[in-house]
Amino acid sequence: MGSVLAASSPSPPPPPSAAGSASPGVTMPPGFGMPPVPPAAPPTGSGAGKEQRAESLLPNPGAFDECHRKCKEVFPMQMEGVRLVVNKGLSNHFQVNHSLLLSTTGDSSYRFGATFVGSKQTGPAEFFPVMVGDMDNSGSLNSQIIHQISSRIRSKVAFQTQQQKFVNWQGDAEFRGEDFTAMVTFGNPDVLAGSGIIITHYLQSITPSLALGGELVYHRRPGEEGSVLSLVGRYTASDFIATLTLGSAGAHASYYHKANEQLQVGVEFEASSRMQDSSASFGYQLDVPKANLQFKGSVDSNWVVGATLEKKLLPLPLSLVLCAFLNHQKNKFQCGFGITIG
Amino acid sequence: MDLIRKHCAHMGSVLALSSNPGHQNWPFSKDPLPSRWDAHPAHWDRPPRWERRDGRLPNPGSFHSLHRSCKDVFPHQIEGVKMIINKTLSSFFKVSHTLHLSAVSPSYYRFHVEHLQSDDYSKDKDAPALIGEMDSSGSLNAHALLHLTERVRARTVFQSQQSQFVTWQFETEYRGSDFTAAVTVANPDILRESVILVAHFLQSVSSGLVLGGELVYHRGRAEEGGILTLAGQYSRPNWVATLNAGKGGAHASYYHRANKQIQVGVEFEASTRTQETTTSFGYQMELPEANMVFRGMINSRCIIGGVLEKRLTPLPATLIMGAFVNHRGDKLQVGLGVNVG
Repeated sequence: MGSVLAASSPSPPPPPSAAGSASPGVTMPPGFGMPPVPPAAPPTGSGAGKEQRAESLLPNPGAFDECHRKCKEVFPMQMEGVRLVVNKGLSNHFQVNHSLLLSTTGDSSYRFGATFVGSKQTGPAEFFPVMVGDMDNSGSLNSQIIHQISSRIRSKVAFQTQQQKFVNWQGDAEFRGEDFTAMVTFGNPDVLAGSGIIITHYLQSITPSLALGGELVYHRRPGEEGSVLSLVGRYTASDFIATLTLGSAGAHASYYHKANEQLQVGVEFEASSRMQDSSASFGYQLDVPKANLQFKGSVDSNWVVGATLEKKLLPLPLSLVLCAFLNHQKNKFQCGFGITIG
Repeated sequence: MDLIRKHCAHMGSVLALSSNPGHQNWPFSKDPLPSRWDAHPAHWDRPPRWERRDGRLPNPGSFHSLHRSCKDVFPHQIEGVKMIINKTLSSFFKVSHTLHLSAVSPSYYRFHVEHLQSDDYSKDKDAPALIGEMDSSGSLNAHALLHLTERVRARTVFQSQQSQFVTWQFETEYRGSDFTAAVTVANPDILRESVILVAHFLQSVSSGLVLGGELVYHRGRAEEGGILTLAGQYSRPNWVATLNAGKGGAHASYYHRANKQIQVGVEFEASTRTQETTTSFGYQMELPEANMVFRGMINSRCIIGGVLEKRLTPLPATLIMGAFVNHRGDKLQVGLGVNVG
């Protein structure tokens, strides 16, 4: 089952957001990132004395969306109500999951998801094509197909519906060069209405630890069109990663630090010119493998304090998740727990 | 009539308080399982010290605890996150801090203190004690249980909601050899000329059968009245059946201990005032090897609930997780709790 699990999305996708129209800058639903790729690590010292071949020793910088990912993974995910997830692997290629969510605030839902992994192997834990889909009890569908077309080109097609209406349909192609990555995404192209979003990403390794790049979003609707440009810089060291995104839509800076085997820390700062506000958050992740425990905590500048505790209940293939979030400013409290089987 | 309802509701909450607040932890107390568990379950936790079981009929206990063995099987509704820290300062003095973070009601911190007047307090819920509880909003809950003589007990209860007193009652109970008689004066108010007087009487008729009654007299400025309720309880070693019937309604409960691990309770309540009836089914499952107790219940109001308590050895902590679903109203309540000490 390892191949299926490694190639599929890291966690079941959260319920689709209520927003109907795609806004500029949004590329794909959260949790639907590309399967993990080998991390961009600086070469260990084999570059010394080989300046004439320095360019070919620059590592591929990875996907554009992965820049802030490591920092975001440290933060706990808010959850409420009771959740039961049952994962069942039917074969080496096929995995199925059922998820039942009883919610205290919204509607309860049952979701069925299936993951299919093909047999074309490109890396140690990567198999293509990958097809992931899930369906809600109200009929909302989330699906994506990821395929490696050639050794350097990977493409993805994703669809998302809210009950019977399609809210998101996009296709993208990513080219991984020796030391750069370029990606083009077509979001919600609608030939009849003459609307759509085109996003291009480019990320280039300048030195083994520094990667610079940019994102250009062009959106068009009948009557208006516009574009947003943002620049990205990422510096990777042996135990920290600092990333900065600057653009006309706002700024996003994140810092990820791995203190030791057990403790990881992340600091994030976001400013949005459209909504005219900014927020800073601090999060940490504590792993205690001996106790099969993982604890994530976060503090926010919006006076939100939250924590998640995840514990594997060996010898059963059970995992228990407890979560609580407290918003001091609005005096709101949310708690939830979940069980994952399999 | 509302005063009666409030009085009866408060009597219930008074009981919940005066019974050992750590009662939920009872299966995990440091004492081994009591050797009396095979005895009549109605009396197994509460025999008075002077009771003589030499062929004479046992004392039937107090009127409030008639339905207690069935009610203990049902899970308590929990909501939000609750942290309780119990600290025993000496064999007479216990203190507990409670912090409750809730999504639907205001969060609070509560301080609870117990002073016991005898140090062999194990599971006897009516041992003499002074109990006080204060909320972060200023609400006070105070009980005093005293043994005036060997057979006469007195209990005083004061409850205030922030600064206003809602309950002040005084109860005197006489425990004879095979009967119990109690008189309670609740909320006597000279200025408003209102009072509620309750008289209880329970008599052991045979070794398993207890019969009795309750007479409630309430008087307000504009009205006065009395309600008579008859009560009967039949207990065998493995089950207890209780019935209260009167003009105000009926309350029947059946408790059954299937084996060492499973206890089952069925309850039926009917009220003539609100014109509705409720039937509930509850069960309790104990797994001492796994240090776990699970209580589940289902209701005729389409409410399903379950609460799991797990002792996290070797830490002196207990983790409580529970959820209640109201299918008719489509509402869910989730709760987590940690009891330390």
